[in-house]
Amino acid sequence: MKNKYIFGGFIIVLFLGIMAYLFTQSNIKYESNFANVKGTDKIVKATGSWVKEKNYDMNREQNTFSFFMKDETGNEMKVIYEGAMPNNFESATSVVVTGSYRNGYFHAKDILTKCPSKYEQKTVQSSSM
Amino acid sequence: MIGSIFLSAALVFSLIAMVMYYLSFKGYKNTLNIARYSYHGMAIFVIAASTFLWYAILTHQYQYKYIFSYSNNSLSTGLLFSSFWGGQEGSFMLWLLLTSIIGVILQSYSSRRGDLEPRVMAVFTLATSFLLVMVSPWFKNPFEFIWTTPIFIDVKSINAQFMSLPFIQNFIFTDQQSNTTFVQMSKELYGLLTQAGVGVNQFIADGKGLNPQLLNYWMQIHPPMLFTGFSMATVPFAFALAALMKNDYRDWVNQSLPWVLAGTGILGLGIMMGGYWAYEMLGWGGYWAWDPVENSSLIPWLIGVASIHTMLVQKRSLKSTDGIGRYAKTNLILSILTYILVLYSTFLTRSGVLGDASVHSFVDPGMLVYLFLVVFIGTFILIGFGSIAYRWKYLEDKSVYEENILSRELSLFTASIILVASAIIVLVGTSAPLFGQSVDTFFYNEMHLPIAIIIGLLNGLSLLIKWKKTDTKEFIRDSIFSLVTAVILTLIVIVFGSVTNFLLVLLTFSSAFALIVNAQIAFKIVKSNLKNLGGYVSHIGIAIFILGVIGSAGYSEHVNLDLIKNKPTQAFGYEMTFTGYTPIENNTKYAFNINMKKGDKSYTVSPVMYIAEYNNSLMREPAILNLFSKDVYLAPLGYDEGSTQNTGDGETVKLEKGVKTEYKGSNISFDHFDVSAETMADMQAGKDFQMGAVLTIENGGKIEEFELFRKSVGGQIEFTDYTSAQAGIKVKLLNLTAQMIEVSITSSDGTNQQVVEKPKQEVLSVTASVKPYISLVWIGVIIMVLGFFVAVARRLKESLL
Repeated sequence: MKNKYIFGGFIIVLFLGIMAYLFTQSNIKYESNFANVKGTDKIVKATGSWVKEKNYDMNREQNTFSFFMKDETGNEMKVIYEGAMPNNFESATSVVVTGSYRNGYFHAKDILTKCPSKYEQKTVQSSSM
Repeated sequence: MIGSIFLSAALVFSLIAMVMYYLSFKGYKNTLNIARYSYHGMAIFVIAASTFLWYAILTHQYQYKYIFSYSNNSLSTGLLFSSFWGGQEGSFMLWLLLTSIIGVILQSYSSRRGDLEPRVMAVFTLATSFLLVMVSPWFKNPFEFIWTTPIFIDVKSINAQFMSLPFIQNFIFTDQQSNTTFVQMSKELYGLLTQAGVGVNQFIADGKGLNPQLLNYWMQIHPPMLFTGFSMATVPFAFALAALMKNDYRDWVNQSLPWVLAGTGILGLGIMMGGYWAYEMLGWGGYWAWDPVENSSLIPWLIGVASIHTMLVQKRSLKSTDGIGRYAKTNLILSILTYILVLYSTFLTRSGVLGDASVHSFVDPGMLVYLFLVVFIGTFILIGFGSIAYRWKYLEDKSVYEENILSRELSLFTASIILVASAIIVLVGTSAPLFGQSVDTFFYNEMHLPIAIIIGLLNGLSLLIKWKKTDTKEFIRDSIFSLVTAVILTLIVIVFGSVTNFLLVLLTFSSAFALIVNAQIAFKIVKSNLKNLGGYVSHIGIAIFILGVIGSAGYSEHVNLDLIKNKPTQAFGYEMTFTGYTPIENNTKYAFNINMKKGDKSYTVSPVMYIAEYNNSLMREPAILNLFSKDVYLAPLGYDEGSTQNTGDGETVKLEKGVKTEYKGSNISFDHFDVSAETMADMQAGKDFQMGAVLTIENGGKIEEFELFRKSVGGQIEFTDYTSAQAGIKVKLLNLTAQMIEVSITSSDGTNQQVVEKPKQEVLSVTASVKPYISLVWIGVIIMVLGFFVAVARRLKESLL
């Protein structure tokens, strides 16, 4: 039975070790406070919502897509994403961008848009008819 | 109503079946028949409820919230059929339906194998009972009426003839922002409608429809395939528990093995179909993104495959011992884990815990469902591992002998452990968001590179190694041919494929080695022993798959292109020409035709873009040129229909954001608005404020940026102008609205020149990429799955012995 434990144990310990190391290397935190996002140069996943009042911008020459995001407290930052505008962007209620804050912009390498069902969370104003 | 009655009846029958089966196991007579009738009763009611749901979808019965939310009148019959599983409630229903049907087969299977049936079915009906509670009116019921909880319905969906009913006015709401009118559907309105003699089904004329990304044939086959795999994972759990209940561990391996093979085969196919869907339709650019939804179905698959390897050892060792055989504990644990991980996967993807982490959208199902899922998993963990702990002292293999290092037993065990290691890695990465952490995809990629290398080597070696003990000299003699051929093959790949990364070279070698060893053996036995071919075929499949991954993932290249209409652009050795677009599918979508020329060969591919009414967004579908050695993948980014217009002297021009106009050789473009937060605040406070528009003039390569303002001073509105000395142009702002600006452009020295008309330029932007040998990925998976089913046929026969 010894060989079984030697082989099995060796593999598990080896891979758990590499995994723990890589986990700390590739670990990305979620951050919903933009003050913290701006304060670090680490890669984070910033969660917030698109500032609809400030339009987005697509730059075809450099293939970038930029827009403004705000967090729960209304803290804003400009986000530049190297790529096309994601499907569903305009109807998104919340946005998750992965990247880091440098030189006054958030440089996103990935964007996730969350779109809850169309009517469910609508804030509806009172009757006008 | 009928649907809920059917489901409630099914739940009652499921519980009766569970109790009666358990009593039969405990030795009661006469209970077995009741149990069987109850099980079949349950299955019939589940099938009836599902049929009713399909019927209600096909006849557009929008009084059911689920049907209103996931279908509409314009869906084709095929897609209506698949809206059954378009949402959470329905996918639980599909899972339940498939589990019930598989249970019918399992009942017949187990009734013909000794006293197996009561034990297996008692455990199995526990699972069906939980699923039935899940779709009951307390949790995720697809038959919930639309008025149960108040919901806002767009006025578009309401039958206009009823809008004149007097009481409707009290339920109408308008969202000022989007200028949309809604009707609030509630119990109160339902009551009033009923009094007026109007059925809710007549009142609501149309449903919301399916997400446009789901509107294709993959939606019809991928979810049923995946859920069949999930449902079949219940079976090994039931067999393991059955063995623990009887405290007899000799038969269950043989009996369970065909089910594990079939289940993992189908689940594997289902997972890869999802990958192909993402690649072909959703334009992810790849087939695997380590997305939580993909990962969470991969984890049980890896554990299931791991269990196959150690089960083979136990099965083999039973021949030479009258004990419980080798690796009995490992097999029981892995079989139980497979189902628990399926449940965990459901928990991750359905409870809303991954809210921010996935591209799949998850609606938070509410605290109650969350707690129920926790109880569901908790119960099965407790029963599964509790039973193992309870029987632990019986689970020792009495006939202890040391595995030789060069024994197939040990190599299969090692293979199993490697697969478990891979599952742990994916599990840790996928679960990280539960703790507010997350990992980058390179975490998975880098971890799996060494794992794949070891898998390839073991894949080949374990077949050259004999059971129990291998003579070292014989082993070297047997492996020399494969080793040498694999080295040659690797060298060819290095030279012609210019693969230089050390780990990728190793991976190429190891999978080539596996491929050759398996092909060699398969070739030897193909004539004599066709039924034994399964394992080798599967291993050939996985080796081909890995080679495909090396090519398509390791050596994929991409570039962004702006294709101007009728102007050829060179990329990856192809001359690509955008030739214009054609409306397709009743003018709802646009196909952008691209002609690709290489030498004297010419192909036309057409990526698709359209604005989906469902979510008012631009949707894009890629186009793929399939060649044997590579795919050329064109993902559309955007289309500019050449809004460059010529402007006469002093003419008023309306410019939307990002649009250009030309005046006397200068390009004037409106880039963006300049409205700060302070402006908004000032505006609302009624103070003086100004809004700006940033424009650029481009003349002879020189770019000049300037800003025009709309000022509000003491209630008076003023506009500014700008004169560019360099371009000799004066631009005056005339109006500024939320959508556009209006400007007049004149020559700054007052002279008029003739304006030359310039043809419009239509530009299609795409991301073009090449994926070398991606076809091997699909071929590999198909071969692997075929192998699984050849093995099922063989093990099914053996399970009767």
